[in-house]
Amino acid sequence: MAEQSREALILKTLGRPSPKFFLLLAVAGGAVAWFAYAWSFMLRYGMITTGLADWGSAGGVTWGMFIGGYIWWIGIAHGGIIISAAVRLFNLRTFMPVARLAELLTLCALSMAALFIVLHLGRPDRMVVSIVRAFPRAIFSSPLAWDVLVITLYFTLTATYIALTVRQDLQAIRGGMGNEAAVGGGRARGGYFSRSRLGSSTVRGYTGGQYAGRGQLPALPALVHRVLLTGYKPEESKKVERMVWWLALAVIILAPLFLHGGVIPWLFAILPSMPGWYGGLQGPTFLSIALTSALSGVIIIAYIFRRVYGWEDIIPDSVFKGLTFFLIIFAMLFLWLQIQGLVTGLYAAPVGVEAVTRAKVHSFSYWLAIGLVAVAVAYLGAQRLRPSLFSPHRTFVVAFLPLVATLLEKSLFVVEGIMEPRFSLYRAVPGAYKPSWIEVSAIVGTIGLVVMFFALVPKVIPVVEVTTDEDRREHNA
Amino acid sequence: MATELNSDRPQRQRSEQQGGEPVRTTIRNLELARHVARDAQRVVAGDLSEQEFYERYHEAYLHEFGVDSRAISRQEVPNVASGQGAAKGAMAERPKPMINGPLSRRAFLMLAGGGAAAVALAATLGRLVPQVAYARTEGSSESPRAQGAVEGSQAVKRIQMGMVIDLERCTGCLVCVDACHRENNTEEGVHWMYVLAYKDENKEGVNFLVRPCNHCTNPPCVKVCPVMARHKREKDGLVLTDQDICIGTRYCEVACPYGVNYFQWGEPNPDTEMIRQHGRKDYRGRTVEFNPPRGVMGKCTFCPQRQDSEGKRGTTSCQQACPHDAIHFGDMNDPNSAPRQYLERRRQEKGGYLSTFRLLDDLGTEPNILYIGHQPSRSAKQVDGPITYEDWGWVDRRGDVLEGPRPWFMRVFGG
Ligand code: SF4
Ligand code: SF4
Repeated sequence: MAEQSREALILKTLGRPSPKFFLLLAVAGGAVAWFAYAWSFMLRYGMITTGLADWGSAGGVTWGMFIGGYIWWIGIAHGGIIISAAVRLFNLRTFMPVARLAELLTLCALSMAALFIVLHLGRPDRMVVSIVRAFPRAIFSSPLAWDVLVITLYFTLTATYIALTVRQDLQAIRGGMGNEAAVGGGRARGGYFSRSRLGSSTVRGYTGGQYAGRGQLPALPALVHRVLLTGYKPEESKKVERMVWWLALAVIILAPLFLHGGVIPWLFAILPSMPGWYGGLQGPTFLSIALTSALSGVIIIAYIFRRVYGWEDIIPDSVFKGLTFFLIIFAMLFLWLQIQGLVTGLYAAPVGVEAVTRAKVHSFSYWLAIGLVAVAVAYLGAQRLRPSLFSPHRTFVVAFLPLVATLLEKSLFVVEGIMEPRFSLYRAVPGAYKPSWIEVSAIVGTIGLVVMFFALVPKVIPVVEVTTDEDRREHNA
Repeated sequence: MATELNSDRPQRQRSEQQGGEPVRTTIRNLELARHVARDAQRVVAGDLSEQEFYERYHEAYLHEFGVDSRAISRQEVPNVASGQGAAKGAMAERPKPMINGPLSRRAFLMLAGGGAAAVALAATLGRLVPQVAYARTEGSSESPRAQGAVEGSQAVKRIQMGMVIDLERCTGCLVCVDACHRENNTEEGVHWMYVLAYKDENKEGVNFLVRPCNHCTNPPCVKVCPVMARHKREKDGLVLTDQDICIGTRYCEVACPYGVNYFQWGEPNPDTEMIRQHGRKDYRGRTVEFNPPRGVMGKCTFCPQRQDSEGKRGTTSCQQACPHDAIHFGDMNDPNSAPRQYLERRRQEKGGYLSTFRLLDDLGTEPNILYIGHQPSRSAKQVDGPITYEDWGWVDRRGDVLEGPRPWFMRVFGG
């Protein structure tokens, strides 16, 4: 495909929106508005409206879907890292076209997770003051403080990372990048980690493009571009390139080790009060299902963009094939860890562990969640063995299964953990719980927010990197 | 981190079981206590610097207790940094506020463990927020174990209020539950004091388990709190929630293995006359008493309003109310305290063989309720007692009555 039309295709997202776009915004906005109503209702009357209650003599469940939704969104937020790791550390260029989409997903999914924590609080009004004041000491003891730290770090790193790479891209499409500097930077460092250095070759042949000039862009994107490009100097590309590499490395180490393989499961795994939570198995279990759901999220978003913008060549089939490969691996890991939990929890387990494992085995939602993951693994596996079964569309549909399963499984994990505490003498144990309309509205509302995010952001910045591998090779030659 | 807030457990058991040296642990000088309390409030209000506060009372503390852990923690800084022994006089020359004491000691330990970066960050943040100073000295790591790490084995004997509850005398009348309701004005279905009647294998009839908060020596609820609202009061080891700081994560509630926490899900009861007059602040000026406001955690407090008063110090509402003298409240580290004396008496009565237990002791929480009687087995089942919660006109299962207002669409559709 010719260079120019590829870029024109990518930049299509910046173009004039269609009526369907506004319809989408309206639907998503409706969900968000409903969520805002639910939240305001809860703020007005207190958490008593949620159907949560104390465990113990009161026969309730203290943490519910808000925490379930929190874990779910954090899991999805891992999409960005996997893709970054694949592209930058393992040199899997296949995933380059969805790298930025995945990073954007990370950014908004993390925000949704943070939102769920705020939703969960009894006193959100004092959140900032209380957390900041106690932080220097709380960080030494409270897993929730660790969470705040790691999530903030992860968010900052990802946001910086996106900002830096987008800046390079914007400069490229505006045709303003200094040739000499870009060439010098590229030559000086060689190697692969250099999506940013190719300004000159990208710019070549593109300056006549539809949206190349500031004047042709609508006012808002033009403004955003100008802000993002503040103080841009052609010489910066070399430095930026190195920063981006280190950022990627930091994020990749941080997220799997300390986020879903660390502080998120530790919220639960350190508490012997709830045998269903306690133990080292939670780390790998959380991480495996998080990565599964993250890949599902990326597949879904990538497919939608491909459909909407006719990007069959920009996001080729190979991307989906590659993503499903990893999805299968992580999902199988998850299923295998479930077997570990079930066998050790039922064979000769201590009373508390056995009670919670039994409750799990007797729960329909649990088997539904496991079934969904198993079906996804089976189908996607068959697709790999028999290429004739493959189609991006089917992959897209199947990708919803692990997403639903994760939300189910993790909410169940939280709720059932509290239902079967170690101290079970209370008559009111196990407590009762059913998700309230407010909690369900929060899930729907955050999905609405993410849809709006993915509708609006592409109107402002290119969501696929403009530079290609050919550019790089050509440039390096 | 695990050492934080721990008192020296082996030591406690030793002194308890073998009747170790009596240690003087109560403030006899009430005048001093009053002054300290007043000035502590001034510190919180910002009228008095911490430095002045600690210096003002250092001598008195030393005189009263023979040791002032606050002053010690200040000395550690030069100790650690320069490797020199600290002279007592060095303290006065150090303008460094108390707040950096525990942090710096920890900083040293962490550096040794390779956590330099985290400590630097925390220390910087710590300087940015000096307001927390007082809050952070509370429940800080002046534990004997932590001190031993720096200073050798000079352990501090602390006061730890607790209870000996004689389950063999309990009849399940629920008078203590009622007394707690009255004292603390708790909500319908909120039982800071809860009595479980249960049937058990190999036990005749109905047995009882009287369950306030354990005010654990190693409380997981304190460890997990991200804003340090849940804390252990230094003076007497009470585990309390600062109602002005709590953000309602409910993490303490899931971390506590005993199910003693009750969140304020909706609007609280209007305050009683007694609360209006007394206020909710304890002697340090922290809001920790009575039924909490909306969105904040509540649980048995060991009645600090009484512990800080002159007339009712060393009593709790439930303990005083119990018609069968089953609850004995006092300093568990003091062999001369009421609960320890009672325990000793009962032991002698039984010819030296007294069955006692602490609830879920294997979880390492070091609970401070010591029960006389037999521990419920895993097959024990809660049953209705001779007098039920309903007989008293209360709600037992609070979850059933926790229902907020319903939105319009539910009213319309009758959902
Ligand atoms: S019993 Fe529970 S709430 Fe009370 S101190 Fe121990 S852990 Fe904390
Ligand atoms: S000590 Fe005080 S707060 Fe605790 S149960 Fe007894 S009366 Fe209630």
